[in-house]
Amino acid sequence: MATSPQHPVAGGTREPQPPPPKEYRFSEQAIAELEEIASHYPERKAACLPALWIAQREYGGYLTPAAIQEVADRVGLSYAEVEGVATFYTMYNLRPRGRHHLEVCTCLTCAIKGAYDVVHKLEHELGIEVGETTPDGAFTLSEVECLDFCGAATVMQVGDKYFTNLTPDNVMELIETLRNSDDYTPAKLADAIVKIHIPGTSRTGGGSYKP
Amino acid sequence: MAILNLLFEHRDVPNIEEIDVYEQHGGYAGLRRAILLERQAVVDEIKTSGLRGRGGAGFPTWIKWNGLPKNYDKPHYVICNADEGEPGTYKDRELMLKLAHLLVEGMIIAGYATYSKKGYIYIRGEYVEPAWQVRKAIDQAYEKGYLGKNILGVEGFDYDLYIHLGAGSYECGEESALMSSLMGERGNPRLKAPHAPLPVVEGVWKAPTLINNVETYCAATWILAHSGAEYAKYGTEKSKGSKIMSVSGHIARPANYEIELGTPLMELIEIAGGVTGGQLKAVIPGGSSVQIVPAEQCPNVNLDYESCQANGTLLGSGGFMVLNDKTDIVLLMKRTAEFYMHESCGKCTPCREGTRWMYKILDRITSGGGQPGDIDLLLDICGQIDGRSYCGLGDAAAWPIVAAIKRFRPEFEYWIEHKRSPVGPGHVPPTPEVLNPLLTLTPA
Repeated sequence: MATSPQHPVAGGTREPQPPPPKEYRFSEQAIAELEEIASHYPERKAACLPALWIAQREYGGYLTPAAIQEVADRVGLSYAEVEGVATFYTMYNLRPRGRHHLEVCTCLTCAIKGAYDVVHKLEHELGIEVGETTPDGAFTLSEVECLDFCGAATVMQVGDKYFTNLTPDNVMELIETLRNSDDYTPAKLADAIVKIHIPGTSRTGGGSYKP
Repeated sequence: MAILNLLFEHRDVPNIEEIDVYEQHGGYAGLRRAILLERQAVVDEIKTSGLRGRGGAGFPTWIKWNGLPKNYDKPHYVICNADEGEPGTYKDRELMLKLAHLLVEGMIIAGYATYSKKGYIYIRGEYVEPAWQVRKAIDQAYEKGYLGKNILGVEGFDYDLYIHLGAGSYECGEESALMSSLMGERGNPRLKAPHAPLPVVEGVWKAPTLINNVETYCAATWILAHSGAEYAKYGTEKSKGSKIMSVSGHIARPANYEIELGTPLMELIEIAGGVTGGQLKAVIPGGSSVQIVPAEQCPNVNLDYESCQANGTLLGSGGFMVLNDKTDIVLLMKRTAEFYMHESCGKCTPCREGTRWMYKILDRITSGGGQPGDIDLLLDICGQIDGRSYCGLGDAAAWPIVAAIKRFRPEFEYWIEHKRSPVGPGHVPPTPEVLNPLLTLTPA
């Protein structure tokens, strides 16, 4: 088979790309954050995952080939190594996402508590299928594997927040609230995760993250 | 034997996540007691308690703690596995959200006992809120002098604690894959004992490494604050102390319940308010990786490591899923297989290919294309994965399917023969539309 089957949950494969341009976009603050995080480990390359989170924030919520190249150069790895990491983990976005990435958990407990009904309701109401983004760029819908809050099934992650006890009846109310907000974007999730790595951020505030 | 709130003792105290409130309720007493002891005595305390790893494997904790070199000649590391990913389990989430100081204190004690200077808490990337509480707890612990240089005036006891977040991979909950991920690589597992040294000899960055689950460190804190003998008073002969069970599924009050090990399975269902939406059909007592227990066998099972094993299942990580009689076991197993197919890291062939074939066959059966030999074919594939994969993920993918076939074989046969659910209309989970045609075999 020429094309490899692509699983419908978040992440997935990307078409082969030409070599990326070397055009760095990390801000001074981002570089300072990366240096702080890199000092936590005996080896600089251990900062690869956090650096990808920084890149995901700096590049507007997803990793372009240029972003992967920049991470590779900054942590001292090859492009291939960093791309290998970026494609392994599902939370690194390799394609642009909508302002709100709706990640519905459809794993065991959520499935038996009606997660597929929630997914179908969202597909129907938003007019998109799993894996697609609405034409206005407001929502991307994904299925994800266990988010581990099974007691509150069905669970949906949007940005850095879990929304719980969802049913087909109450999910659209949430969607309407999200539609006009900017609170849970993929870039803000990345920012929150970067901040958690850095000592002392709980005193100075979590950047865009509001605990 | 029933609810036993050791770790959860102060869970519901308002603002327990603040260090001052935590200290008022006996917080950091365990660390203060530990530093008065010899380091070996701390390990002995854990040994006396009989504590076993709470992440799923149930390995005696003290053997790990005792295994690290007993000096500061080379760096050692302490790692907390907070990459909670097992479907059905959410105990670590609650521990970190409300009792992050319990975890931080436990890791400082572990650092003291194992001559380590650095500890890492590896938290799954989705857990932003819990990770934020851990961040806050660490920052507060630095302010109070529980972390940093010469902790509590102990000369030479320097210890730093860092948070490392994952980015969405179930596989990284496996300890060698977690260490790969911590080193900035893909989360692939590594060769394990007896073919390679144990992590306590050669772990992360080729240094001796102690790696435990969140709940294990929290229990270590309790043990040091009280005593090993006190902890060993609870539980059964071989399974000591308490275990947090995350109850979910068709149950009236899904939540985390801390129970004494050895509590009868049926009692936990009762504590959690009973089955909803029908009669009890089956229970998955330890997360999706363990074998399903049919209702008629449930009264025989006590929730401890030995009793579970004797009944052909495992206590696992404590993800306790209750299923009512509307549940279609075949569809549930298809969903389980889909989970492992997605989460298989792709390193070794039995798991990478086998989990896909398991899913394809179950998908064929539940799409109405099941063939008479499919059940045996599934068992054959499972048998070829179990014990032949690099890490436990392959085994964990095969066990639930094998057990479900063994215990609910008529349901599989019904699907193949009648091409519809034996449970009838209204079964759960609802059959999802075919999400990915590429993965579906054409019905013959």
